Amino acid sequence: MRLGHVIGRVTLSQQDPAYKGGRFLLVQPFSREQFAGAPLLPLAKGSSLVVYDNLGAGVGHVIAFTEGAEASAPFDQPTPVDAFNAALVDKIFYTPPV
Amino acid sequence: MFLARVDGVVIATVSHPSMAGHRSIICQPIDAEGRDEGPPVLAIDPLGAGQHERVLISTDGSHTRAHVKDPKSPLRNIVMGLVDAKETD
Repeated sequence: MRLGHVIGRVTLSQQDPAYKGGRFLLVQPFSREQFAGAPLLPLAKGSSLVVYDNLGAGVGHVIAFTEGAEASAPFDQPTPVDAFNAALVDKIFYTPPV
Repeated sequence: MFLARVDGVVIATVSHPSMAGHRSIICQPIDAEGRDEGPPVLAIDPLGAGQHERVLISTDGSHTRAHVKDPKSPLRNIVMGLVDAKETD
C-alpha cells in the first residue's frame, strides 16, 4: 500500500456495471518529502493515478491505496481495478532517522 | 520479500473492514547497506516492530488475506520478522 493525496474526482457518464457503488478519485502518490510534512499541492509534480473508492474520500484527503492484484480482491466478481482506496488516513506519525 | 526500516505509523478510522485492529506502519525499503531505496510504503505489523527497527516485509497478498482472515482484503504488505543481524560480503 501507498499513501496518496486526493487531488480530484473522475465522473463517468457511462461505465462498466462492475463499477457500481464506487467513485473514482484522482490521486497523487506521496513522495518522501510529503511523508515528512511537505505541503500537499493541488497539482503537484509527478504522475497521478485513478483510484476506485467506496469509502467516500474527498478532494484534499489523504488515503492509503493498494495496487496490483490485491486492488481487485475486495470485489465479488473479477473486476478491472488497478488501484483501490483501502483507508482514509487521519494521522501520520513519520520520523525518519536523522 | 524485502528489508525495510520502520519510520512511523498511520492512523485510519475509516478503512476496509479487514484493516480494523491491525497496526499499519510506514516502512522505508532499504538496500544491503541500509540505505533508503525508493519511497516509503505501508505494511500491516502483527509483530509490534519498534521505531527505526529493521523488518522483513512479505508482499504475498494471499498470506496477508489469510492473516487478517478476510479472503477479500486489499492488503498485501505484512511484517514477517524483526531483523537482528544481517551479513554482507
